[in-house]
Amino acid sequence: MPFQPVLHAEWIKIRTLRSLVGTLCAVLPATVACSALSAAGSGGSDPLFSAFAGVSLGQIAAVTFGATAVSSEFRGAALRLTLSAVPDRRRWFAAKATAIALPVLAVGLVTGLVTLVLGRFLLGTAGPSWPEGLRAALGCGAYLTLMALFAAGLTAVLRSGTATLGILIPLLLIVSFVIGDVFGSVADVLPGRAGQVVFQETWDGPLGPWSGLAVTALWAGAALLAGAWSIRRRDA
Amino acid sequence: MTSIEVHDLTKEYGGRRAVDHLTFAVRPGLVTGFLGPNGAGKSTTLRLLLGLDHATSGTATIGGRPYSELRAPLRRVGALLDADAAHGSRTGRDHLRVLAASNRIPAGRIDELLAETGLAPVARRRVRTYSLGMRQRLGIAAALLGDPEVVLLDEPSNGLDPEGIVWIRGLLRRLAAEGRTVLVSSHLMNETATFADHLIVLGRGRLLADTPVRDFIHARVRPAARVRTTDDERLAELLARHGQDAARDADGVWTVRHARVEDLGRLLADAAVPVLELTQEEATLEEAYLDLTAAEAEFTAQHHQEA
Repeated sequence: MPFQPVLHAEWIKIRTLRSLVGTLCAVLPATVACSALSAAGSGGSDPLFSAFAGVSLGQIAAVTFGATAVSSEFRGAALRLTLSAVPDRRRWFAAKATAIALPVLAVGLVTGLVTLVLGRFLLGTAGPSWPEGLRAALGCGAYLTLMALFAAGLTAVLRSGTATLGILIPLLLIVSFVIGDVFGSVADVLPGRAGQVVFQETWDGPLGPWSGLAVTALWAGAALLAGAWSIRRRDA
Repeated sequence: MTSIEVHDLTKEYGGRRAVDHLTFAVRPGLVTGFLGPNGAGKSTTLRLLLGLDHATSGTATIGGRPYSELRAPLRRVGALLDADAAHGSRTGRDHLRVLAASNRIPAGRIDELLAETGLAPVARRRVRTYSLGMRQRLGIAAALLGDPEVVLLDEPSNGLDPEGIVWIRGLLRRLAAEGRTVLVSSHLMNETATFADHLIVLGRGRLLADTPVRDFIHARVRPAARVRTTDDERLAELLARHGQDAARDADGVWTVRHARVEDLGRLLADAAVPVLELTQEEATLEEAYLDLTAAEAEFTAQHHQEA
């Protein structure tokens, strides 16, 4: 089967569910509003991180989007119908991941640019420089995409969006900080912490902005492979 | 045309055997009824045919190839498995658009099928608002979207109103008349008898019968005739003399087992017995089926005792 019609079908699935479109659109206001609040009341030492602080909230929307797009296939007999239309399961899952990644990347890049412009305006001379700001804006698109894919892969393994979000949201919002205080270097390679180095002007861990994103990409890739394996092996 | 071939198919779920060395073929141009009680393995067999579940052993092919090897499978095979396959928040029309896009089926087919299944007025409503019957019609529309040569329907009359049941009967007959291969599972015997030409009967995952409907009924249930007369004494004497197995109920109706009205009518006329009523009682598919499963249960019970 060719890939393009499968991708087209997956794209229609996303467009025609209001909850998915709503979650995707929420990435922008959640990130920008939270960043603006942080920048306005900034006491942070890192101007780049102050400007992009809202990504930690925006990522929840991106993760929810990735998880819901996959978990809708596990409602009722949806997956059976999907796989009877597209029996090549690897190809189907690749199309699903692509249909999740592309819109998140687009929304993530726009969100990064808006956040940067607003951050520079609010922080004035204390704000981030353009080169570092643009790096963070690109990183915002990449990071949110990778986190959505990580959630998508995990949902395919667990066959439940609720379970995935139940693991990821506490992990992203709470656990990485708690663990970070206790065992510093372990937390540095968690998917959230590693990828968020791209939003810091200075960093002291072993990972830099791009190597941090690469670690998040490894997590996302591993989750997608595990998801693909699970979909291929199990009865639908 | 395209046949379905199932050969030595077995499926075990954690030690429990749902399908047990099943072999049968489904031919084009006929409606084949797929019968069996709940849990007999009908739905499992359909899922194995569609490559949704992985067989423990054996093969299931459509037109000589496993389903997973078909290119644009919806254009070859249409299936209705469950009425809850559509997402409740999507509209019926969007549900069909997704399926059409995945197999490059022209968008024009969507409106054709919405009209044919009577869903056109609700096509832009969310599936959540549909009745079970409407969901079932949406599932049938999805199955027929690619104009497939092979149609597999699992309990299609579930939730349909009487009008819908008449509609599906006509639809199945038409699909077979067009030369398609039609396999329809059901646990409703008399309903199946109204549309099926051929039967495949399963019991506990094994093949119990693979035969034309007519032969299935005639082989298992002998006919009976009903007679009413004003002269019970002479009728009783006449039937006894001809060795007929007959019994009279409280309402004065005689049931003559294994008799045909053609023979009995001649006999009564020759003996000049006054007749008020003479009717043939046709055996039903249900009776034949119950006879078969009773024999099967007895066999299994004996088997267990011996073991």
